[in-house]
Amino acid sequence: MTQRKRNGGVLETKVRVWDIPIRLFHWTLASCFVIAWFTLDNRYLDVHVFAGYLMGGLILFRLLWGFIGGPYARFRDFAFNYSKVQNHLKDVLNKHPPRFLGHNPAGSWAIYLLLGLGLSIVITGLLAFGGEERQGPLAGLLNFPQGRFAHELHEWLFWLMLGLVIIHLMGVLVESMLHRENLVVSMLTGFKSSAAGAISTLSHWKVGATMLVAIIAAGLFWFQGHLTETPEQLYQPFHGPTLPDNSLWREECGACHLAFHPSLLPTRSWKAMMQEQASHFGEDLSLEQDTVKQIETFLVENAAEQGLTEAAWKINRSIPQTEILLRITEAPYWVKKHQEISDAVWKHPKVNGKVDCAACHIDATAGTFEDAAMHLPDDVKATVTSE
Amino acid sequence: MKRKLVGITALLLAIPFYAQADAVSELETEYQAQGGTNFSAEAGEALWNKEFIDAKKGDTRSCTTCHTADLKQPGKHAQTGKAIEPMAPTVNPKRLTEVKQIRKWFVRNCKWTLGRECTPQEKGDFLAYLKNL
Repeated sequence: MTQRKRNGGVLETKVRVWDIPIRLFHWTLASCFVIAWFTLDNRYLDVHVFAGYLMGGLILFRLLWGFIGGPYARFRDFAFNYSKVQNHLKDVLNKHPPRFLGHNPAGSWAIYLLLGLGLSIVITGLLAFGGEERQGPLAGLLNFPQGRFAHELHEWLFWLMLGLVIIHLMGVLVESMLHRENLVVSMLTGFKSSAAGAISTLSHWKVGATMLVAIIAAGLFWFQGHLTETPEQLYQPFHGPTLPDNSLWREECGACHLAFHPSLLPTRSWKAMMQEQASHFGEDLSLEQDTVKQIETFLVENAAEQGLTEAAWKINRSIPQTEILLRITEAPYWVKKHQEISDAVWKHPKVNGKVDCAACHIDATAGTFEDAAMHLPDDVKATVTSE
Repeated sequence: MKRKLVGITALLLAIPFYAQADAVSELETEYQAQGGTNFSAEAGEALWNKEFIDAKKGDTRSCTTCHTADLKQPGKHAQTGKAIEPMAPTVNPKRLTEVKQIRKWFVRNCKWTLGRECTPQEKGDFLAYLKNL
């Protein structure tokens, strides 16, 4: 153990306080939090969900490590009651808090709250993922409205956790200044200086290495599709249900445009559209009566009200009951989801306007419109970024 | 034996062209019965490239608006941008093989382009033009 002098000649030793698993846990958890925050757009749902799974796994590990880990990692080392926290905060205000090698009382409560909030965020995330997207281990456990509620809860809990993270960072800053030590560096190296012969923890590098391997393996497994995709066969992280199909509908409607799945408009819209097939957006379709009937039956049976997909449910609830829309692009939900897309994208040679769902949605033909199944063609992306 | 196989293969490969000849001749007979005579590829080509002004929107339309002037190339739907397979049967053997399809597209596309249905004479001329491309 190295020795050095500080505070006017008092002999101090370097003590390893944070073992490798704790440091790995801390920084990976922080990264997950930031990554999940920056990938909350549907386009990056696969990344967001991975960050969530990783967060859940890390927190479960930390709970276990709180019982079997190194001396400073164990919960009994920082099981402070509320009055201890109060006293510590008072001392901080008086600028003379006692120094703890491990977690101080205020810090410990931040840890417990962060662990609890993190776990709650993971759980509500899984519920929303299963309810709204029909994906993950809890797929279909909740219906769409319940999934949406879980989603809102997920967001509120995130804001709470963000607030707590900020308080935690301020605590680190204040304690670092009052004790003239760099707590951030300690969390990186694991070492702190101590006067008396305080015990050092083992590095537990084998546990740390196992964690690292597990994280990398999980990442490779989760994102392998990105590595194997080709321009012809783009990677689609999530696959929706196989929707009802109909060959006549596909042939007739698909002759002039993408065969828009019935789930994208409500019954009243489809009925009106088939009614006025002689003036279908300026064109007389001249379909035979029998054909009209067969297609209409298929459209009505699988219309948006049936809630076959998340998009169907959200489109339907966004349209006022009194309105009979003929264009999917006029549904308020569609408008909201596409408001950030600039004119340059719609006018791009590879995008044939708003009618061309398949230009960016990999699963447009299937009709599922899954999150993270969006892929702007590369030169379209260039248009977007050059603006 | 080998010869027989070659012969059968050749016959199988020729089926689309027989189908095309069948569908076209059936419709030509029909259009003649309705008053069409002396169907001409030149007249068909001229009409194919002729421009019409749409009564409602005022835009100029012709068959080439969507199918382009080169019928061996794919076209593009004027409103939706969806790709249209080439019209020329030599490039796209599926063309002019189904009576039902030909009828449907004549009605729909004549109405959009000319603003009215085509006469039997015009339809016969179109077929005369398209079938030998």
